[in-house]
Amino acid sequence: MKDKFHDELARMRAGVLGMGFFAEQMLSDAMRALQENDTGLAREVKERKVRLSGQNDTLEEDAYRLIALYQPVARDMREIACALKIISSAERIGRYGKDTAGVVLSLGETRPDDLLNALSLPHMAKLVLSMIDDALHAYETGDLGLIAHHHGRDDVVDKLRHTIFREGITYMMEDPRTITRCTNYLMVARYLERCADHSCKIAEKVHYLVTGERIEIR
Amino acid sequence: MSPDTIIATDRLNLWYGDTRALVDVSMEIPDRKVTALIGPSGCGKSTLIRCFNRMNDILPGCRIEGKVMYHGENIYDNGSDPVSLRRRIGMVFQKPNPFPKSIYENVAYGPRVHGIRDRRTLDSIVEESLRRAALWDEVRDRLSRSALSLSGGQQQRLCIARTLAVEPEVILMDEPCSALDPIATAKVEGLIDELKKQYCVIIVTHNMQQAARVSDYTGFMYLGRLIEFGGTTQIFESPRDELTENYITGRFG
Repeated sequence: MKDKFHDELARMRAGVLGMGFFAEQMLSDAMRALQENDTGLAREVKERKVRLSGQNDTLEEDAYRLIALYQPVARDMREIACALKIISSAERIGRYGKDTAGVVLSLGETRPDDLLNALSLPHMAKLVLSMIDDALHAYETGDLGLIAHHHGRDDVVDKLRHTIFREGITYMMEDPRTITRCTNYLMVARYLERCADHSCKIAEKVHYLVTGERIEIR
Repeated sequence: MSPDTIIATDRLNLWYGDTRALVDVSMEIPDRKVTALIGPSGCGKSTLIRCFNRMNDILPGCRIEGKVMYHGENIYDNGSDPVSLRRRIGMVFQKPNPFPKSIYENVAYGPRVHGIRDRRTLDSIVEESLRRAALWDEVRDRLSRSALSLSGGQQQRLCIARTLAVEPEVILMDEPCSALDPIATAKVEGLIDELKKQYCVIIVTHNMQQAARVSDYTGFMYLGRLIEFGGTTQIFESPRDELTENYITGRFG
């Protein structure tokens, strides 16, 4: 009976990992759509939200079912607790991807993209995506080295958002025609910053899963 | 040794003939807490609690080395009296084993053996013990009925009442719920929770969820050794030893 349980646990873990990478891809594609002004891709990212929610619901049900049937303890219990937390962070990340895609669509196809690069949004996105990717790979492999510097990396992302905010304000003061674009970009910077926070949440849970010790990153 | 410790073992070893059943067990058991011992069959957990009230003495070929300190005195020292020890350290067994006597007589038996004859004193001991064992309300109007007419769960609580009647300090329980249905089990577990306010309870159980539910401390034993001892939450959330982890998550045992 327990072997069946551990098989099911392994399947759930694979599902959680799959959902995590799916969400990461949503954010990554949304940022690409923003950079390349690709409304087709943005629309497609928005549509992926349904599948994301579906994965979340299925995995949550799986977790509750495993708890009810097997009353797991120790690592098994941490595995399930961790899965429940990771899927909710993953869902948030995916939804920020969807929201970013929404920004692409609301800005329309004819916009100059100079500000985007000037505001270092692509750079920020790269940092955040690598944090998410490392947290998920740490979950996959148990390699805590991958998340050892999440605290410092999150600090950099926070500072970057602050910088982008200040820069955005100066652009808007300089030329009010950029206000719509800039406020949308500032929103995206905010989404990215939140996604970095969620990658820290995932990292915290991976740390708990592997060591049994709860830590706070940030 | 912590001031809350009531029983402590120091490098306790036990042999049944040539078989070494306990290997260098050192542990401290706190008073007024529930301590659970878990481990696969034959790991020595029953043997260990039977050492606490010298129940192994009567087995032929049994040899003990090391110390079991109770209130700071080694219970295996010459001059230590097993009978008075067993009054202070009571035991409840796997299968309910009431005497084939009335409910009243089952509880009054121990105090009588210890010299209490006054009927009113005995009446109040019986009532108090049955109340503490959460059985009084169910049997108050049929105290003269045979104990064997009770259900399994009631019989087990009667055995607990019988243990309480001689005012012990420590209650040893060896798989007290394994012969009971889930409802009777829940009652005994609720009772254990009450008992720890006044007594030190040490319970051996195969049921890991039960250990997790009722105990404050848990010891995991394997092949006669105490592998890990710690707070129950810690043992069941993040055990330090891989053997403990593998056992409680059902990977062996």
